[in-house]
Amino acid sequence: MIKKFFLLIGISVCAGFLSKAGGFNSHQALAISIFLVSVLGTLLFWEFRLSFVFLGSSALLLTNTINLESLIKFASLDVILFLVGMMVLIGLLKESGFFAWLVSLILRIRNLTATKFLVSVSLISALLACAVDEVTSIIFIVAAVFEICDYFEVEPTPFLIVSVLATNIGSSGTVLGNPIGILIAAKSGLTFEDFIFKAFPVMLVCLAALIFIVRIWYRKPLKELDQKIKALGANEMLIKLISVPPERELKVSLLIFGVTLFCISLHHRLELLWHLEPNTVLLTIPLISAGCVMIWKWQRARKFIEKDVEWWTLLFFMLLFAQAGALHYTGATDTAAGYLAKVSGNNPLNLLVLIISVSAIGSSILDNVVLVTAFIPVIQSFKNIGFNLQPLWWALLFGGCLGGNITLVGSTANIVALGILEKERNIKLTFFRWFWVGLAVGIVTTVIAALMLIILPIYHA
Amino acid sequence: MKVKEIMTKDVKSLSGEETVKDALDIISRLEISGLPVIDKDRNLLGMFTEKDILRIILPGYLTQVGAFVYGDDPKNIKNKFLNLHNLKVAEVMNKAVETVKEDTSLSEAARLMLTKNVRRMPVLDADKKVTGIISRYDVLAALRRIAEV
Repeated sequence: MIKKFFLLIGISVCAGFLSKAGGFNSHQALAISIFLVSVLGTLLFWEFRLSFVFLGSSALLLTNTINLESLIKFASLDVILFLVGMMVLIGLLKESGFFAWLVSLILRIRNLTATKFLVSVSLISALLACAVDEVTSIIFIVAAVFEICDYFEVEPTPFLIVSVLATNIGSSGTVLGNPIGILIAAKSGLTFEDFIFKAFPVMLVCLAALIFIVRIWYRKPLKELDQKIKALGANEMLIKLISVPPERELKVSLLIFGVTLFCISLHHRLELLWHLEPNTVLLTIPLISAGCVMIWKWQRARKFIEKDVEWWTLLFFMLLFAQAGALHYTGATDTAAGYLAKVSGNNPLNLLVLIISVSAIGSSILDNVVLVTAFIPVIQSFKNIGFNLQPLWWALLFGGCLGGNITLVGSTANIVALGILEKERNIKLTFFRWFWVGLAVGIVTTVIAALMLIILPIYHA
Repeated sequence: MKVKEIMTKDVKSLSGEETVKDALDIISRLEISGLPVIDKDRNLLGMFTEKDILRIILPGYLTQVGAFVYGDDPKNIKNKFLNLHNLKVAEVMNKAVETVKEDTSLSEAARLMLTKNVRRMPVLDADKKVTGIISRYDVLAALRRIAEV
């Protein structure tokens, strides 16, 4: 513990001195050092990450590296409020049985075969991650995978890995799939429609590639499942295992969620119609829905806010965004952008490949929100050098989401799912059991995304 | 009135080395819902309750899935029940146990039971050795006696 602490401080201080020697001024070097403490803090001291950003942000203020007004501005309250609203809605859906209903749908697949199960789990994992966040989605998919594997007496690990890989891929399909989606949308001006027309198709192609790869990779477990299905017969018991009474509450909850998604999908048009600033409707729709939920369920309103909103994570995000803002405020990201542009030979395509590669590799080790937060001000700085930012935003999104598949600590969904596997089945996955399939899927999907971004003109508009 | 005046001094306990299946047999025979786990020097190691067994045999993600109704018994419950003889009490017991001292007042014991949501609490002496146990029933019965005097 103490060794790791000194390692963290040592690396951060060295990075500060190296930055200073490399041409950054004192405030820039300090902002880089403090941000690095937060980044390494998430890697080495996950439980203490909030303490690190609290202390780091205070140090930025006390050393006058950033002023209070700018720190608050960069904390991105808009993104935080969007996430609060969505978390309240997810809490409502959970309480009304929506997710259990989805699990029961998976258990009711008729004429089940191993391939049908694999494709269904992949599709539902990806689509659910698109509609809610990846962490919420994976818990319910894992529940369904466990019940089916238990019933047919096969090891759940391969199917759990597939569902996590699909979840991470799916999380890149919409603004809602991953906190980095809304973060990029809020900072880039990309709309929900942009995500649907540009990110969603890439996600579907990557998902098809995943199914193709795992169909071959896990041919033996799939064969075994097919044999068990033949031996044990149809999944009659599973069909009646879980039920969610179609009560009024579930229907109303679904209606609220559906209307929210519909309005979010139209946010850009509504903003144009009502002459509002970009993303005003996108960011307020979840708040309006959450407000309605809290009127409808007024007796449970406090529970939705106190239990369903992950304040620990959101406070970490806020101060992390503020620290990344300090990099921008001090001009450190302009210098970094100039350096990256030079490395890429001032070639937009080279830069795109550089960003998607670095973000994919980085998010295989780091939390992708941390990585994307660091990259956002750098990408904003490319505008001053004359680059078209749109392909770079997409490169960042896909690198950040798809890279999470490479290692078992690459995304929160991986950690949550493997935690359940260990607790429920006493199976502790080795690093390499995940790594080879994760690497294959990570490389193939990242290359597919990069090629689509390079070749298709819609990403360069 | 102090806790030591009403506590049960003959404490039935587990050592932690029993299998969960054996411990289940013991609490079934004694018709109680849980027992403290105490070593040979009377140090408290933890508390083993029926709730711990339910936690083992039911999926851990139940609380996160939200509202639903089990229409049948999951196949894995049977397997998990059969595996109880492979698990030791020390592996599944609750180690963060609420305790009281011998000279704790009854109202304080009642307050702890209510706010910490526990049914029974081991009583420790000054050397932190287990000297007794009190249950909600013991506290309520004693408070009632005081009120009726």
